[in-house]
Amino acid sequence: MKKYVSTMLIRKRILFTLLLFCFIILAMIIRLAYVQFMMSEEISDKAEDLWLRDIVFQPERGEILDRNMNYLTKNVSAASVIVIPRQVKDVDRTAEELAKILHLSEEKAYEYVTKNTSSVSIHPKGRKITKEQEQALTQLHLPGIYLAKDSKRFYPNDAYLAHVLGFTGIDNQGLMGLEQQYDDHFKGEAGSLSYYSDAKGKKITDSSNQYTPPKDGKHLKTTIDLDVQTIMERELDVAEIKYNPDGALAIAVNPKTGAVLGMSSRPNFNPENYNEVNPDIFDRNLPIWSTFEPGSTFKIITLAAALEEQAVDLHKDTYHDKGHIHVGGAKLRCWKSGGHGKQTIMEVAENSCNPGFVHIGSKLGKEKLFSYIRNFGFGSKTGIDLQGEGSGILFNLDQVGPVELATTSFGQGVSVTPIQQVMAVAAVVNGGYLYEPYIAESWIDPVTKEVIEHQEPTLQSRVISSETSKEMRKTLESVVAKGTGRPAYVDGYRVGGKTGTAQKVGADGRYMTNNHIVSFIGFAPADDPEIVVLVSIDNPKNTIQFGGVVAAPIVGNIIQDSLQMMNVPIRKSGLDKEYTWPEEPKVEVPDLVGLTKDDILQDLSNFSIDVHGHGDYVKDQSPEAGVKVDDGSTIRVYLSDK
Amino acid sequence: MWKDRLLQKRTPDLILLLLVGMLLIVGLLMVYSSSHVWAEYKYGDSYFFVKRQLLFMIVGLVGMTIITYTPYEIWKRYVTVILVGCFLLLIIVLIPGIGLVRGGAQSWIGIGAFSIQPSEFMKLGLILFLAAYLTYHHRNITKFTIGFLFPICLIVVAFALIMLQPDFGTGIVLVGTCVLMLYIAGVRLKYFAYLSIVGVVGFSFLIISAPYRLSRITSFLNPWEDPLGDGFQIIQSLYAIGPGKLMGVGFDNSLQKHFYLPEPQTDFIFAIIGEEFGFIGAVFVIVLFLLLCFRSFYILYYVKDPFARYIAFGIIAMILIQVMINISVVIGLIPVTGITLPFLSYGGSSLTITLCSIGLLLNISMYSKL
Repeated sequence: MKKYVSTMLIRKRILFTLLLFCFIILAMIIRLAYVQFMMSEEISDKAEDLWLRDIVFQPERGEILDRNMNYLTKNVSAASVIVIPRQVKDVDRTAEELAKILHLSEEKAYEYVTKNTSSVSIHPKGRKITKEQEQALTQLHLPGIYLAKDSKRFYPNDAYLAHVLGFTGIDNQGLMGLEQQYDDHFKGEAGSLSYYSDAKGKKITDSSNQYTPPKDGKHLKTTIDLDVQTIMERELDVAEIKYNPDGALAIAVNPKTGAVLGMSSRPNFNPENYNEVNPDIFDRNLPIWSTFEPGSTFKIITLAAALEEQAVDLHKDTYHDKGHIHVGGAKLRCWKSGGHGKQTIMEVAENSCNPGFVHIGSKLGKEKLFSYIRNFGFGSKTGIDLQGEGSGILFNLDQVGPVELATTSFGQGVSVTPIQQVMAVAAVVNGGYLYEPYIAESWIDPVTKEVIEHQEPTLQSRVISSETSKEMRKTLESVVAKGTGRPAYVDGYRVGGKTGTAQKVGADGRYMTNNHIVSFIGFAPADDPEIVVLVSIDNPKNTIQFGGVVAAPIVGNIIQDSLQMMNVPIRKSGLDKEYTWPEEPKVEVPDLVGLTKDDILQDLSNFSIDVHGHGDYVKDQSPEAGVKVDDGSTIRVYLSDK
Repeated sequence: MWKDRLLQKRTPDLILLLLVGMLLIVGLLMVYSSSHVWAEYKYGDSYFFVKRQLLFMIVGLVGMTIITYTPYEIWKRYVTVILVGCFLLLIIVLIPGIGLVRGGAQSWIGIGAFSIQPSEFMKLGLILFLAAYLTYHHRNITKFTIGFLFPICLIVVAFALIMLQPDFGTGIVLVGTCVLMLYIAGVRLKYFAYLSIVGVVGFSFLIISAPYRLSRITSFLNPWEDPLGDGFQIIQSLYAIGPGKLMGVGFDNSLQKHFYLPEPQTDFIFAIIGEEFGFIGAVFVIVLFLLLCFRSFYILYYVKDPFARYIAFGIIAMILIQVMINISVVIGLIPVTGITLPFLSYGGSSLTITLCSIGLLLNISMYSKL
């Protein structure tokens, strides 16, 4: 064992210590370089997140306008409450006042006021508060309680067009209707002011800001005409009061483009208070959602197809109606006992004679009839830019026997949507062009007010020739002028159209009695149609459930007022005079005694019916059967239970 | 002895003095830059900390000057008294009501700004005592009891007292410095092997007794696991250094000093240097310390008197261990231990003791055959 420590050992150990220090310091420098060069980007990104605070600037939601640039929506400012708990001085009083003004429980308000975060927003009761609440809070000057600017959607026309416009939620997000369909266009992009902040949230002086301005949402100019819409809403309001129906709907379309001018349904709702109504009401936009048997309005399609295929000639061909027709072992009756006798095809249309249409349908054959039905857009969605469209139901071609062909010919056994009917009739009268209906017409830049996107009409197909279309216009004009749809007649506007009384299928799968959807589909002016209007009233009360009685006058009013508002020139009498009506023959009063109420309401289209008494069976009638009267005359019937 | 006196140079080592001067200037600038936001917020005076630091510096420089011109042999007579005094102070600071608690540690004695940290004095006191002890027993230094057991017991007692405050950082510096002194004095290596076993056991015990230490240790491996708890300081420190890159963001442009990094003028001042002056600035400071290290080793290597050599070695080892621990913490190389960066960090006791130590080095440099 070595006794003494040599100086050499000491010096060696000193140098070794120095070396150790140098080694450690080198390691430190390497680590420093790693942090400042290799990790730098990653760390800097995280640090930026820490330093940069964003003040978010919400964009303005794009507005919805009608085709004349009237506002259908309007953004209004509404304040939202923000609590900064650390700044609250008198916790108890602040909680108490907040609870009172915002209708919160005091415990809940206390929770907000004492929450351990930098700021709290009171959701949802403190968001988008009313002007009164805002005023009350402003007057109190509570420390730590702030009002942030926010905006909410306001619908200046209340419930008008509610189903089409839809509504937005608490965050201004589109939830229904156009608001949802085009939410991406409306919502825009949030902007922000980013600034370097110290750990206490204050902006560091002399540091730079990054401002990204919010991009406001685009405005949508729709095809809707607020005047037309207002007229439609008014008419449906009147109809609701008059008939207390289960539901009602109206659509107006420009047949030249497929642009929807107006769309309304009952029951309706105010989009601002959507959460106060049954979701079924706002979920179901009846004009595009509901499906039902069209009834007689469908005869337009059968006739148009037959004329186009030259299966029948309007004036030269005749059909002898005996009052019923045997098809595949079934006996299909005409409403008129004894039948209409010998009629031209034109008269079959005017009389809305069911056996006559069965005859037309059989001349066409099932392949052709069904191919036209599909070509006119039935059985598939029209493609309108709204959610929740129905497609209707057609017979499968291999299931179509003689009976199905016969009933389809006069509008039974098929199921269609109102918008399909409107678009098909538009194609019938516009020269044969089937358009896709649309509502969004153009997108407008919120800053420059320039149109950035424009929706051109979408032509789906050419269905019939312009000659056939012209003949159909004449026929349908004469249907209105001669009496079936007489209540829709408008002086000077040459209205054409067709009534329809659709039977509803009940829960048991059978047709319901005394419960119909009565419709009228009309267009005008017949020489150059500018508007097609469909009105359907579901189960009107206190009236005869017949389209000519209930729906036709409504369509007449809508067409008259709308064409006036649209500045469509009145057709001069000179022009009308050129068009001479065939002399009206007297018609024989049918024998109604013993028939049921449903029997006579089923397309008794040539007469007005005046009902007296109660019950399901006709006991007596006036005038008596066989008396010759003018077409469209009133027949009084007396009802009893047996 | 008399011959040595004749060999004595008349002036202390100017290079050492120059390096210290540079570190002090950097320190003052950085204390101002890193502290003025807090100072303004807390005291309404941006210069609050830098003014006090200047005062401490003056006190320290006066002390340094006196010690520089006091022949170091004088201390040999008083080493035992100084050591006992330091132990007394360490005991007094633990008495509730006398010791002041700051940052969770009961480490201060005194009133307000005029408080002292006994553990800082203990480091110097123990260096002086060990130097004298090792010189006196240098013939028997390889013996277990004299060369190892007694000094280690002394160190452990001092360490234990410091850990009662608790001040882990200072304790580690103290142990590290003293063990290195024993090592260069020629204590047999196998004893250090025993020591390291005891160290591991003791370390485990410390962790078991206060489990928060373990989470501190693991947290530095992935600070983002608990960004608001144990990882907080490391993350905030890296957020300062990382964005500094090569050139830094420029003097006074640090963002992390805006309340993100807690009390950036003390333990984490190096992070602000790394942020404002980048890799270049940080390496410059490290190089200053490295040069200080080389110069000091040069001095002590050529000192004949073992007492002077041990003192000089102890002092420079103490300073460098502190530097290495502090910077390693700041750059996320080791877990957080509260320890200041000599010359640069704000703090009265730390700065004055460091300067007084430098005074000793300077005095010894007069006896070195440079």
